[in-house]
Amino acid sequence: MLIPIYVVTGFLDAGKTTFLNNLLNRHDWRDVMILIIQFETGEEEFQSRYNNCHSISFPKKSLERQPKQIVEQIRSLLQSRDFNEIWIEWNGVAPFSLLQSLLLHSSLRGLCKIQKVLHVADAAHIENLLGRTGGSLLEQIANCDFIVLRNVRSSTIYYRIRRLMREINPGVDIYEIRAYNDLYKQIFSKKEQPINIFFLTVVIIVFMYFFTKPVLEMFQIPVNTMINVFLGIILQAVPFLLIGVLLSSVLQVFIPRSAIERRFPKSFGMGMLVAILGGFCLPVCDCASIPVFRSLVRKGIPLPVAVTFMSATPIINPVVILSTYYAFGGDKTIVIGRVCLGVISAVIIGLIFAIRPPKGQVLSGGALDGLMCSCGFYEDTESITTFQGKIGLFFRHSKAEFFSVGKYLVIGTFISSIFQSMGTKIFTSAQSGTGLAISIVIMMAMAFALSLCSTSDAVIARSFSGQFPMPAIMGFLVFGPMMDIKNVMMLSSGFAKRFIGKLLFTAFIVCFFVVFLLSSLGGM
Amino acid sequence: MKARAFNPQVFLEFVSYSLFGGYMFYLVNSGQYLSYVTPRMKPYLYFTATVMMIWACTELFRLFRPQHKIRSFHCFVLVLPILFLLLPHSPLSTDNLTANYTGGSAFNQNMPDKANQQLPTSSSGVNASAGTPAPAESDISTSTGSQPDAEIPNTANSTPSDTQSNPQEDTVAGLSGMDAANKKITVDNDEFYPWIAEIYTNMDKYEGYTISITGFVFNDPEYLAEDEFVPARLAMVCCVADLVPMGMMCQYEKASELTVNTWVTVEGVIHKGRYEGQDEPQITVKNITPAQEVEGYIYPY
Repeated sequence: MLIPIYVVTGFLDAGKTTFLNNLLNRHDWRDVMILIIQFETGEEEFQSRYNNCHSISFPKKSLERQPKQIVEQIRSLLQSRDFNEIWIEWNGVAPFSLLQSLLLHSSLRGLCKIQKVLHVADAAHIENLLGRTGGSLLEQIANCDFIVLRNVRSSTIYYRIRRLMREINPGVDIYEIRAYNDLYKQIFSKKEQPINIFFLTVVIIVFMYFFTKPVLEMFQIPVNTMINVFLGIILQAVPFLLIGVLLSSVLQVFIPRSAIERRFPKSFGMGMLVAILGGFCLPVCDCASIPVFRSLVRKGIPLPVAVTFMSATPIINPVVILSTYYAFGGDKTIVIGRVCLGVISAVIIGLIFAIRPPKGQVLSGGALDGLMCSCGFYEDTESITTFQGKIGLFFRHSKAEFFSVGKYLVIGTFISSIFQSMGTKIFTSAQSGTGLAISIVIMMAMAFALSLCSTSDAVIARSFSGQFPMPAIMGFLVFGPMMDIKNVMMLSSGFAKRFIGKLLFTAFIVCFFVVFLLSSLGGM
Repeated sequence: MKARAFNPQVFLEFVSYSLFGGYMFYLVNSGQYLSYVTPRMKPYLYFTATVMMIWACTELFRLFRPQHKIRSFHCFVLVLPILFLLLPHSPLSTDNLTANYTGGSAFNQNMPDKANQQLPTSSSGVNASAGTPAPAESDISTSTGSQPDAEIPNTANSTPSDTQSNPQEDTVAGLSGMDAANKKITVDNDEFYPWIAEIYTNMDKYEGYTISITGFVFNDPEYLAEDEFVPARLAMVCCVADLVPMGMMCQYEKASELTVNTWVTVEGVIHKGRYEGQDEPQITVKNITPAQEVEGYIYPY
């Protein structure tokens, strides 16, 4: 039997030793033989009340210089006495991977095994520490099974910290230090193997498919159509998403922030021009522009310019222009109208963000974003200088970003495939006998719900030209590529909810008025 | 001192990348991707497959890096599409699209939701929100064979394959089936769209020609009069989400008696007609024969 190891991580003075003193000195645990290994000597010392705990400590110096000796010492201790549990208080500034290397050393591997890792954090300091203390703390948080929080003064602080922690370690549970019963339950609960859960879920999906499909079809829900539409959109979006992710990773990894700050035009007007030209040169649809948008913001491009880039790219790139041209049978006014209205709307949206910059955070990771990307690798991107290192980072970064955005792409596509297979009758039936403004709103709402790729939406738009006036079609063509369910979902992988809300609202209002006013002026 | 231990998360990611990349290769090579997207996506799909393979290879370097916190659910981004691709489903057919017309009788068209069945040559998003269930959906796995007319032997001597070997045929812009001497065009199923495009652009040249073309009957009264129908094929412009019926309009007195969605070969004379205020080539029908269902969509560009 391998001896279970419980690891307590946390920054210096987070309260690890205090926590262990309270946790382990329990009357009903007095028969459990516990080995306590401390890799840090803080202000408080571990004191065993019932004489069942044997403690040993190593200073950080020996951790760095003589790891082999540490392993040897632990091994001889484990062999000389019978321990039921090992508790490790890990050093706050040492990387967690070092501990793993120690414990996976060939002489220890057969004796003990990490069971649970918990992280102790002081609510009063953790937010300040995170931005400044380098990668070790982040790595510890990312690797823990759950977090114990102390000094929580109010529920707003609690929720704020929880959001921060989940940014680093998605879905992690957080307990207040007083909730000992929960803690014990967590510590000794058996951990399900995520891989097993994964395969179980696969099996469940297959079963669900075979059992629910006939039932749903009985209620005339076109499952077959839904699956086809889902796959069609996914097959079309994944390549573009990949292009976007690779581009954005190149931006993140190879182009230093300072170069962008130096080269990028200082004046607002020039910036906008570059954004629009850049959009023209990026022959991709909206799936690709969102990851690139995210890295542009991360790299310090002014937000209004980045917003303009994101809104204009899916409309003005050559592929979209060409497909619009074909879809409307060579009608140039539509193509020109779409491009012009798209650029005008994008610039106005950018201007609004310049005049009234969003309050609060834009990126959901807040202060963390400068230091790490959501990919969970903690080397500072600027500190790796060798080309080989950068290539490795590029791959890890692009993979992680692919999954983080792809997750939302799948969800968004699923929702929109439901909308599409349900038909568009809810929109078209609302149309009959309404004014122009309402028609535009309906078409824009439909563009949002259907989440079509901007390279294909022109054909769909064309198909509504019988029922809707031309400005409404224009609303569909201009607003759809900028914002739809799929895009909003993908944005939420990196941006704060409030910012996305504001962006969505601004884009909607601007597109509506631009289309409404200009098309009535132009008498389209 | 670097420890080595098997990393299940990396292994799972490796498997996901390989599966997804491999399946993309398979989809493109077998041509199955055409049920979902247009041929234009081919290079993009190859690109995707290549990137996935490279990613899978880079995963191998990390296969023995230990990791405490194992995550697995992100892999569903890749595994879910593969699952759906592998689970049985049939490509969309005319029944899925025009489900509210399967009855073919006039009263079905009292349904309020037919608005999204669109014009030929332009047309609609997918709509199967029918008032009447599509009969073919129950035996979807047998797919296309379940068409009512499939077993009717195709005796018409205007079958495209017959005329394709016609030694007299002229070629127009690389199209086969042109018989200028007899002013006759036999549209090959593979050239459905090129021929329509050709006739639309050179309307005057082909006026008076006899044409033979195969498609399914589309006669939605929302767009077409009693004596009009379209022998249509489903056109995919970008992906399966935008399938639309496409074809040339036919003048035929008994158009409303035709069973919707059955496959027919129409023979008739091309004339210049008007639809919604625009000139367009139309066909005056001489002869309609049942035809075998033509598989696959057409891809205008």
